[in-house]
Parts: sequence; C-alpha cells; structure tokens
Amino acid sequence: MSAEAETGVAVPAERAAAPERPKRTASIAARLFGAATLWTAAILLFGGWTLSTYYQRQVERSFDQRLHVYLKTLVAGLADGTFARAEPGSVGEPRFELPLSGWYWQITRLDRDPPETTGSKSLFEEQLPRLQGGTTDGGSAREGYVSGPEDKRLRLVERTIDLGPDGRYLIAIGADSAEIDKDVTDLNFALLVTFLLLGLGLVVTTGFQVGFGLRPLARIRAQLIEIRTGSRARIEGAVPREIAPLAAELNALIDSNRAIVERARTHVGNLAHGLKTPLAVIANEAAAGEGAFAEKVREQAVLMRRQIDHHLERARLSAGVAFAGEATELKPTIEALARTLGKVYRERDLEIVVAAVDDMRVKGEKQDLEEMVGNLVDNACKWARGRVFISAEPVAVAARSGQPAALIRIDDDGPGLDPNEWDEVLGRGRRLDETKPGSGLGLAIVSELAAMYGGTLSLGRAPAGGLRCDLRLPTV
Amino acid sequence: MRLLVVEDDPDLNRQIVAALEDAGYAVDRAFDGEEGHFLGDTEPYDAVVLDIGLPKMDGISVLEAWRRDGKAMPVLILTARDRWSDKVQGFDAGADDYVPKPFHMEEILARIRALLRRASGHASSELLCGPVRLDTRSGRVTVDGAGVKLTSHEYRLLSYLMHHQGRVVSRTELVEHLYDQDFDRDSNTIEVFVGRLRKKLGVEVIQTVRGLGYLLSADPA
Repeated sequence: MSAEAETGVAVPAERAAAPERPKRTASIAARLFGAATLWTAAILLFGGWTLSTYYQRQVERSFDQRLHVYLKTLVAGLADGTFARAEPGSVGEPRFELPLSGWYWQITRLDRDPPETTGSKSLFEEQLPRLQGGTTDGGSAREGYVSGPEDKRLRLVERTIDLGPDGRYLIAIGADSAEIDKDVTDLNFALLVTFLLLGLGLVVTTGFQVGFGLRPLARIRAQLIEIRTGSRARIEGAVPREIAPLAAELNALIDSNRAIVERARTHVGNLAHGLKTPLAVIANEAAAGEGAFAEKVREQAVLMRRQIDHHLERARLSAGVAFAGEATELKPTIEALARTLGKVYRERDLEIVVAAVDDMRVKGEKQDLEEMVGNLVDNACKWARGRVFISAEPVAVAARSGQPAALIRIDDDGPGLDPNEWDEVLGRGRRLDETKPGSGLGLAIVSELAAMYGGTLSLGRAPAGGLRCDLRLPTV
Repeated sequence: MRLLVVEDDPDLNRQIVAALEDAGYAVDRAFDGEEGHFLGDTEPYDAVVLDIGLPKMDGISVLEAWRRDGKAMPVLILTARDRWSDKVQGFDAGADDYVPKPFHMEEILARIRALLRRASGHASSELLCGPVRLDTRSGRVTVDGAGVKLTSHEYRLLSYLMHHQGRVVSRTELVEHLYDQDFDRDSNTIEVFVGRLRKKLGVEVIQTVRGLGYLLSADPA
C-alpha cells in the first residue's frame, strides 16, 4: 500500500524559484538623478539670465556713452550758437545725413508754442517720439527704447537744457538698437551653447556620482542573491554608515529566519520522538499478543510507521532550503559517514574507501549533505560484496546551472541494477527487494534533496559491476 | 551477562527489560539520563541499551561521559532521530550500534547478542567449549549434541563463562555480572549454581581455581 495514496495532510506549496518583486516606486538613482538635473538646469538658467542681463546693460551703457557724445556735441553747438536755430551742422557722424539710416537727432524748442522742431537729415520729415519712462543717468539726460521711423526700435537718449533767455530745448539722439541686439544675441547664443555643454557635463557627472554613490547598495544586493542561492551566510564587509543599519537589520532577519528553520526542525524531531516511542510500545505489545486484534494492531502499526516516516521526510524536505545560506565542508563529512557506516556494517567486513579532494565546500546544510551521502553509501554497503568506493572531486560546470559543482561518486561491487531499473528506484518509496532492510532504497529521497539544492543524482554501472551513484552538487 | 536499559518511556522500558530477561540476561533499568549515567559509571555492565532522548541528561552526553571515564562496555543506542547526522553523532560519541525507533524486539536481541559476542572476541553466535555448545541466538545448550535444560540463572552463568573461556573469572565478577542490582547477592549461591551446572552438563569443563575463581576450559587441567 502506498503511503502517498492516503496522504491527508497537505504538502506545503513549492517554494518559488525567484523572490516576488515588491511594488516599485521610482528608483533612488532616478530620484537623485532627476533632482540633480532639475537643480542644475535651474541654476544654469538663472546664471545665464543674470549674465545675459548684465551684459545687455553693459552693451547699452557703452552704446549710450556714444550717444551722449553726440548729445554733448549738439548741446555745445546750441550753446555757442554754432548751428543757430535752423540748420545745425554735422555732428561728425555721416549716418545722421543718410535718410532713414537709423541714426537720428532732433532738437525741440519747448518754450515756443507750438514747439519748433529741427532734426537730422536722416529723419526725412519724420519725428522722433518722446521717451516714455526710461532711465535717468543722474543728470537731466534720460535713456530708453522707442519705436522710431519705419517702426524700427531705437535706443534714445534725450536731455532737456535750459538756455535761459535763449530758450528751453529738448535734445534727442536716437540710434538703431540692432547693434545692441546683435551683440546681446551673439552673447546669448554663446551662453546657450556653453551652458548647454556645461549642463550636459554636469548631468553626466551626476550620473557617475549616483552610480558610484549607490554602489554599496548594488553590492548588498549581490550579497543577498548569494545568500539566497546558498553561497554566503551573512552580509559582510565594509558597509557605508548610511546603510549599515539596513545591513544589520537584514543580518538579524537572516539569523531569525535561520532560527525559525532550526526551531521547525527541532519540532519535527520532537514530533518524531513523541510518536515513535509510543509506536514502538504498541508494536511490541502487539507482537507479544495473539489473535485477530493483535494482528490488526501489528498491521496498523506498520502503516503508521510508514506514514510517520513519509511525512517527516516531506516536512524535512520542505523545511530544508527555506533558508540556505550555508555551506558544508565535503571531505570531513564524507569521512565521518564512512567511519559511521564502517561501524554499522562491522559484521560484514566491508572495505569503505574514501578519496576526496581537500577544501571543497558544497552549498547547503550539513544535515542534508549527510542525509544524501549517508543514504547512498548505506545503500552501497547493503549490496556490496566487499568494497565500497567513495570519491569526491570538483567538476568544471554542472550541466544545468553552469555553476561550479562537486561530483560525489559512490561505487559498490554488488549485483548492481539493470539500466531499466534505474528510473524505477529513483521514484518515490519503492522497494525493489523486500528482503533488504530499510524503507525503500532511499535513492528517491536523495534525488529530491539534490534537486532542492540545484544538484542531480544519476545512476550507472560501477567498474566492479555494482551500482554507481553520481551525486552532483553546486559548490561554493 | 548483565545489561543496563536506559529508557524514559516506562512501557518501552518494561518491554525491553522483559524481552532481555526472557533471553536470559540480568537487567538493570534506569529512567533518566542521570540515573543511567550513575549506574553505568558504578556497575560493571556487559552491554547497555541507551535511549538518546532522555530527561535530565541526554543519551549522547551520558555516552560521552562514560567513554571519557574509560568505560568500554558495548552500547546500543535507541532513537527516534534517525537522520544520518544523528547516527554520525551517536557513533562518534562512542556508540557501538544503533537501532531506530520503532523497532522489533528481535532486532534489539540480535544486536545485543552481536555486541556481546564481539566484545568477547567471538566470531560466531555459537559458543563452543569441548563438547559443550551454546547457541546465543536460540538460548539452547547441548553437550555432545544432546540438549540440556538449564534454569535462567544456570544459563547466565554458563553463558558468561563461555564468553570468557580461557580466563579465570572471580566469584565477585560473576556476582556482578549475573544478577541485577535488586537481587539479594549472596556469593554462596554462585557455588550452588556452579555445582548444579557441573552436574547438568556432566562433563568437566568448569574448573575451580582456588582463591581466584572459576575457569572454563575444554582441556582438563
């Protein structure tokens, strides 16, 4: 009767291969990067605007100084009567003579009604508008922009002078602002290019900085992966002050996880002890009794024992790699098992030979390694005629995972198995030969344990004719 | 042959003791680790059945303490914990054999027989001394092929002498190994049993070595 068929207890769900991903928010890198980029952009924009504005002022001021020179010439001319009232002479700038050249002057006598206006030839019957607002340079002169002839923007400087009895004049000099605008535009373009490059440089630097700054986190993540896959026990090495508490908490979590697994195992062991002792009493009591009742109890006790063994094995399997941050030294473990089995089979005078390479560590807990190798060697001892050979050596690459692995090979010189029986013995709970003690060959359990650690168990024929078991386990 | 059974479950303890007594051994019992350790430390047992999960002091510690103190008697450990790691731990602590629970009583008996035989250096389960033949498996004694009916005390005496044949066994040693601790020890009874045994066997294999004890030997002195 199969123990499997009467299973009433649910077997715990298989463990997921990869951890479930928690909901994601923006990554820290993206946050740092985004913030740095925004900040850089803001600073560059503000700096560019300030520079540009300041430069524009400078350009305007030097332009205004030129205009003031012309203004002074006109004022001087007015004061000494050089260009009387009607035809002021040249102010030394030919563009004042060219029509609509963009350079204009205009004198308005304000104490007449209506005011009399004289202007440069370039004005060509047009008039300069009065400056609205504008700035004063401390004296009576004011500067600003107006819209002049042909709707061109003009930089205008004007000044009111009072010559007493000779009248009150408003003198204005206007010039095309294109000259200023061009300078400013040139500068703005240069600024834009420079600052864009600067910004780009800063962003790239920030990227490197963020990457460098977050490297400890990446390191911790790599360590966590190693812990999960069993090649590392704890988070180790220098950890920056900021994430040291996080690392400490993770280590505490790992420790408590391990303690829970350990407790679960202890509970399983206690359960085994608690059930098996009364079961032994019942079985012995029934063995001494006679009749149908004793027969029934004997039969049921055997079933109970199988059920207990089966479920304990399952519980151990499911508790096994809930946390697998452990690694086990291979050689001493194999040697201890060989020693033990030598004592178990002392009567048989078996020669158990161990040839193991030093300093190999396989992933997983010692108990599980002992269970796997112990079952295989025990099986080999049961069938061997005189000799069991155990070897352990590293193999370059495990077939599936591509990880480094150890090959533990157990050969016996017993009758062996036919190749068509190999698959069968790897199935659960089968017993090929009921005359040998033990609940099945134990190979199925080994196969399951090995699979749990990412390893494999394969069978073959030993040179001496017996069974060859090849157990491959990932190493650290 | 005097044995010690250390098992905390009263029923199992009773069953094992009963089975061993039926098989002709003198058996002492203990129900916790401390008591077991004390008995094993002070009394000369020929073998011990030791449970691992014991109150007060676990079986592994008891065993380790015995071995530290140079106690070399064969120890059969019983345990529900039957992973290989438990077995390795048990054997490394000095156990000689291992029986997982639950077990058949015959298995305990067979293992104890084997341990005793091995301890006295015999390869077979049949002990021979001249015409006397003792089958430790069935508990049958024959002289020249003819069955001899012995009481349990006589059987124990013969069995102990057969296991240690060729060596002088003192009276005190016999008392210590043939009776459990509750037995009223009167060394005179040993002489009575030896006398009866000689008569039942009908052949002179048990010699008295004056002042020292008894010697079982096939060659007449």
